[in-house]
Amino acid sequence: MGHQNTLCIGLDCGSSFCKGALGLNGEIVGLASRPTGWDVAGSAALVKAELLKGYDPKESLVRVVATGYGRELIKADKIVTEITCHAKGAELLAPQTRLVLDIGGQDYKAIATLNGQVISFQMNDKCAAGSGRFLEVILKRLEVDLSQLDEFLAAGQAITLNSACVVFAETEIIGLLASGVSRADILGGVVASLAQKIASQAARLDPTGPAALTGGLAQNLGVAKALGQALGLTVRPLLKGPYAGALGAALIALDID
Amino acid sequence: MPKVEFKLPETFESFGEARKSGFLKMKALKEKGAGVVGVFCVYTPLEVFLAAGLVPVSLCSTSDETIPEAEKTLPRNLCPLIKASYGFAVADKCPYMYFSDLVVGETTCDGKKKMYELLGQIKDVHVLNLPQTQSGQRSLPFLISELKALKDKVETAFGVTIAEADLTRAIKEKNAEKRLIKEFYELSQMDPPPMTGLQQLQVLFGSQFKFDLPEKLADLRQTIDDLKEARAKGERPVAKGAKRLVMTGCPTGGATEKVIKAIEESGAVIVAYENCTGARQYDREVREDGDPWEALAEYYLGVGCSVMTPNPNRLELLGRLCREFKADGVVEMVLQACHTYAIETQTIRSFLSDKGLPFLTLETDYSAGDVGQLKTRAAAFIETLG
Ligand code: SF4
Ligand code: SF4
Repeated sequence: MGHQNTLCIGLDCGSSFCKGALGLNGEIVGLASRPTGWDVAGSAALVKAELLKGYDPKESLVRVVATGYGRELIKADKIVTEITCHAKGAELLAPQTRLVLDIGGQDYKAIATLNGQVISFQMNDKCAAGSGRFLEVILKRLEVDLSQLDEFLAAGQAITLNSACVVFAETEIIGLLASGVSRADILGGVVASLAQKIASQAARLDPTGPAALTGGLAQNLGVAKALGQALGLTVRPLLKGPYAGALGAALIALDID
Repeated sequence: MPKVEFKLPETFESFGEARKSGFLKMKALKEKGAGVVGVFCVYTPLEVFLAAGLVPVSLCSTSDETIPEAEKTLPRNLCPLIKASYGFAVADKCPYMYFSDLVVGETTCDGKKKMYELLGQIKDVHVLNLPQTQSGQRSLPFLISELKALKDKVETAFGVTIAEADLTRAIKEKNAEKRLIKEFYELSQMDPPPMTGLQQLQVLFGSQFKFDLPEKLADLRQTIDDLKEARAKGERPVAKGAKRLVMTGCPTGGATEKVIKAIEESGAVIVAYENCTGARQYDREVREDGDPWEALAEYYLGVGCSVMTPNPNRLELLGRLCREFKADGVVEMVLQACHTYAIETQTIRSFLSDKGLPFLTLETDYSAGDVGQLKTRAAAFIETLG
């Protein structure tokens, strides 16, 4: 696959982070990421520079594939949607995946796949319920860091939240805190509600397992577990899941002539 | 769409501008004393107005400009087409609405029916009752009697009489127009098509705002000839190999051009419109022999809109267009809160899946807020087509 000495770069710029993957001689040899900020093109260029550190781009061909929300702003040889890229990336990270659940900063996607190819997909509408943003707002309000989320989830019971809307859920949570409900229980409820929302979207695809989690929450065991329960399928958390889109893009770059 | 240098035949422009330039023409017609009838939907028998020497005009309402005005009265989670139609009337912003002496609405979906009641407080509204089904024996006589009621209303409102011979003449004129428009859009059966879907839409949409029939026919003929000539000279506005898609669902045009753009900017091309903006309106002709009222009723009863239950004619037309235009897939546009189309999506999905045709459905409204999302959905779908 690919060409000798071609440096294949996948850049995936989402609403929160710009992720990059570098492939050389058919192998992934580097990953990098940084916050997207306001300047998508600038952040993408920095991620690319970081990936190319130690390589001499003059001595080899460089092929760039851009994906993600900001894909059209990035200088690239090809632009591909994050849906196609996540499907390919997830297959690389977890072979034989049949359902990819990508939770992004702004939105979430459920993608039915076969051998890394997209069969069909579902995406949320304008509403932020079920997106990473929802969890982010709540974590901030509870002063919990994302890295601590699993600990909290393991310690608590999932209470039932009545609202899936970010704005209303925040109000509801203020009330719950006032009546003495623990942060662990609240977070359990928040993650369960997020999982419900995504699962109901994914259910339209008639999914078969195994499923894999990609995007910013991909490493989170508690989120994977909640999604697994909501879907009735095994959902694999992926250590490199946040890079799935960038990896998929790098794989596509390998195939450019 | 890969950039290809292509000069549009000039007649295209005249269609693109038709809605705007029609305002002035309409004003001139009014000053000469013409009676104007505003219409919303493909079920409205324009032949009746043409027979009476009146000018029908589409109150197309495809912009979000007056939706805030409408939402003062109407619920927010209502179809944008209904909100915009009403909004233009209350805000007094649509010149066509303003010029209409009579507005004819038909009982298609519930939202429209109830909106007419409110519209009736501002304009003279006549409601044409439609049957809800095409099957069985009772619908046709019912629709015939409704068409006759419309005739009575038009005759009293405008002080005219509609003779059968006038109606037959109007039917023939309308048929001639339908034939020509069909000839026009069928040019896109070519591979690659001689125009983009957006260009095709421009003509389909604009032709509703040309009020002088001989002039409209001449412009259409000219457009067809120009396209053929440009093609012969080697003009290729659409790249070879671009995926060919058929549009279906709610009417497109105006604000919802964003959907067509999202698709065509992602490298595919719309070759045909099954919806009311396109083939659903022009594919069939009204029978020219026998009783003209019966012929009209037969024709209009056959419109394949999701407000009919069941709605087999939509499937028949969609399947045929996919074959004739060698479609690689189908994209449906459903306007937010349109229940009949949103539910019928399921029927369309399984119909197409049996034929092995990929299908994407996009829900949208008249705002620009979802352009990025539409683009991602459309592009990802097109990527799956290979
Ligand atoms: S989609 Fe149905 S209700 Fe709408 S214009 Fe067409 S025929 Fe009328
Ligand atoms: S798009 Fe649907 S809801 Fe809107 S007017 Fe037409 S049938 Fe009614």
